[in-house]
Amino acid sequence: MKARYSAVTELDHPELEANDTIKADLEQNETVFKRLFQNCSDVEYREIRTAGRLQWLIVYISSLINEEVVDNHIVKHLIAKCSEADHADLRSAETLNDQMISAGSTKMTVNLKEIVSKVLSGYAAVLTRADDRAVLVKAAGTKQRSLEEPSSEPVIHGPRDGFIENISTNMGLLRNRLRTPRLKMESFTIGELSQTAVIISYIAGIAAESLVEEVRKRVTRIQIDGILDSGYVEEFIEDLPYSPFPQVHSTERPDVVAAELLEGRIAILVDNTPFVLIVPMTFWTGLQASEDYYTRWPIATFVRWIRFLFIFIAVFAPPLYVAVTTFHQEMIPTNLVISIASAREAVPFPALVEALLMEITFEALREAGIRLPKQIGQAVSIVGALVIGQSAVMAGIISAPVVIIVSITGIAAFTIPRYSFANGIRLLRFPMLFLAGMFGLYGIVLGFLGILLHVASLRSFGEPYFKPIPLSFTSLKDTFIRAPIWAKTNRPILGGTDNPYREPRGQKPGPSRGEQSS
Amino acid sequence: MRPMLCTCLLISAMLVSGCWDRTEINDLAFITGSAFDLTKDKKFLLSVQIAVPSSSQGGPEGAGNGTQERFFVLSATGKNTNDAFQKIQQKSSRKLFTAHRSVIFVGEAFGREKGVNDVLDVYAHDPRQRLRTYIMVVKGGTALEILQTHYPFEQVPIEAVKEMEGLRSELAVTLRDFFVEASGEGINPVTGVIEVQHSPGGSNDKNNIFKLAGSALFKDLKVVGFLDGVDTDGFMWATDRMKHGRVSTELPNGAGIVGVMLNHADRKIKAEVIGDRIKVNIRLSGQGSLVENNSALDISRPKNVALVEKCLEKTVQKQVRSTIDKLQRQYKVDSIGFGRDIYQNRPKQWNAVKSQWDPKYQNAEVSIEVKIQLKGSGMAGPPLQLKDKETIH
Repeated sequence: MKARYSAVTELDHPELEANDTIKADLEQNETVFKRLFQNCSDVEYREIRTAGRLQWLIVYISSLINEEVVDNHIVKHLIAKCSEADHADLRSAETLNDQMISAGSTKMTVNLKEIVSKVLSGYAAVLTRADDRAVLVKAAGTKQRSLEEPSSEPVIHGPRDGFIENISTNMGLLRNRLRTPRLKMESFTIGELSQTAVIISYIAGIAAESLVEEVRKRVTRIQIDGILDSGYVEEFIEDLPYSPFPQVHSTERPDVVAAELLEGRIAILVDNTPFVLIVPMTFWTGLQASEDYYTRWPIATFVRWIRFLFIFIAVFAPPLYVAVTTFHQEMIPTNLVISIASAREAVPFPALVEALLMEITFEALREAGIRLPKQIGQAVSIVGALVIGQSAVMAGIISAPVVIIVSITGIAAFTIPRYSFANGIRLLRFPMLFLAGMFGLYGIVLGFLGILLHVASLRSFGEPYFKPIPLSFTSLKDTFIRAPIWAKTNRPILGGTDNPYREPRGQKPGPSRGEQSS
Repeated sequence: MRPMLCTCLLISAMLVSGCWDRTEINDLAFITGSAFDLTKDKKFLLSVQIAVPSSSQGGPEGAGNGTQERFFVLSATGKNTNDAFQKIQQKSSRKLFTAHRSVIFVGEAFGREKGVNDVLDVYAHDPRQRLRTYIMVVKGGTALEILQTHYPFEQVPIEAVKEMEGLRSELAVTLRDFFVEASGEGINPVTGVIEVQHSPGGSNDKNNIFKLAGSALFKDLKVVGFLDGVDTDGFMWATDRMKHGRVSTELPNGAGIVGVMLNHADRKIKAEVIGDRIKVNIRLSGQGSLVENNSALDISRPKNVALVEKCLEKTVQKQVRSTIDKLQRQYKVDSIGFGRDIYQNRPKQWNAVKSQWDPKYQNAEVSIEVKIQLKGSGMAGPPLQLKDKETIH
């Protein structure tokens, strides 16, 4: 019989019981730590002795902390007091904490397990000879990437900072945007070995309490050895894992998260990844770019319509071409049908095979473009354009109309602003292509109905994926159009909310120079 | 288990039922036009023109073969259309595809002797045919000649005929119109007419072109006569098909010729049986603007405009009168549909005269009123090339 999963194995330090404590005996404590961190070369034990006697012991992991904090705020003060080390007043952990350590975030504890876990997340543990309590000093200082514009969601007009791999920086980016105590950050730790910090963030009073509770439940029930990216969490908390449509919105942009929080959604931040999850997600979220809200509304609406058009092209252009040329030749105008027939004259494959060939090649090119180092990326596009675009047509392997169709489709998929959503849409093209190749327009209609039924029945954290369709008039102001900011007075209706209004009515600007308009 | 079963059943329902009509575009022979003729020994001859795709593209490998034909013509004799079509299919490596056919041609001999009755039914029954196809009679030759004509515009020559018909400069009749008229009470169908114009050089067939040449009159589904271009214009006036066109008129006393472009034309017809006689009143009205003035008149003057309008009305009336005379006396066909008007508006009267309609029609009294308004006089009043004192104000 295979061994079943258990959260704690025998390798997980059997001596580390939940209520183990450290002792007042410093030497004994040191032995305990050394046994726990056996073969961990990055664990430092800084011993401070007077007259050969161990007075204080500082335990920390050098790779996780800022040495300067340890040097200037702990060691320096301790050494200054060395002469009086035997003075009884100086022995207690309180004195250590209150008078000697000049660091901001400290904590006193006796619990061995807590000490170990804190040391593993960048704290320095200061133990003293006469007390069975340790002072934990926050000295975390791992190397961080600087804030950069997120490469997966660039904008022309809009804030350029993006989340990074450090969760506290990420929380700071959110706090900077929403300076209110109602912005909650509930902390959880997931991953038996990775002990990854996960933060559930929401605005109290705007996010429905039932939704928050649901997110808490789904996040806390995750059992896994390690969480390396928010993608792990996403797969655990989805409503329908077999759907090609993402039901959790993931973004690198703090402004997007702040906007979604203001609409009553909930963000899940995961340590060590710049991608923050937002739930619940709707179909329309997949078609909204953050820039929609920073450009003027007529332009944003127009661009949104372009995306609606191109999402159809992304799914249906190749299937339509295949269906019409192999089943419904009478639908094409005479001159065009003869042009297409001419172009296909030398091509040995059926239209379906031809389209599949090109689509797969295009996907390969796209994938290669991502994986290759930036310097070689240029080469890939040249190969793609020349070899596939031109030579294949010249050689009579592929007809020119298919190249045009596949190029348009490729571009169409890139107009979808949310990366994971675009991936799902791209994937749908292949079953549609087969349906079109086998059943013609009939197959396309079947496939479209199937997709429609699926999306309409899909839910993200209990919220219908197609919301606000059918009708919720106030929320429609941000679906097909992007209404002016002063007209969007209501929050989208997501469950219950105490405060449905974003702003008072009547803020439409005009030429009346600041006077009250009547 | 149940959902799996349901899925399997659904998929098999899709796969095993119905017919599989998948055809690659290159396995089709696109028929652009068909022709019906009589052979010398009075047999039925069907010809089709098939577009040759590779030549119409100036593609990379086809740059040099400009001499290649853009189409070819296949013919076969047979008992009926279906039979002949089957024989043509045997000559073609690709499946004949009729949905893109835009025109069918009926040779004059075929139309006069056999009539179109035998060839038309297949167009109503077979779903692969298009009722929007134009039907035309080929005057003074075989329909096959038209299919063999090289026309310089368009990818395939017959598309040119379709475009010509689409311009509505001459009578354009689709199969649907033909069926409606042929089956209707009190009207005889007409079709457009096309003829081959031989090149001035003579022998070289390659330089032949075709041109639209009036209309063909049918009676009992046989061609009984043709109207030439001028009469066809009159016919279009009388049947309310005139939407825009050009009218030229000679001013009295040889003062010159004035050309007018009509942009709006209307017809009202009223036919009734009064006692023993049929009385028909046709009222035509038109609006247009002057495009040519070869007289010395200053056409911006209201007095002169009224003069021109009068002349135009007379010209149109004469034209329509001549057409109706030909229809009544020479060909004895009711192509305009006087009978239909009676049938539609006074069915009781129609029932009474139906049996002796033909003699009554030939003696029907037709009165024609024309009202033409000039809405614009063009960009100049008096002719610019004349000195001021030469113009007539």
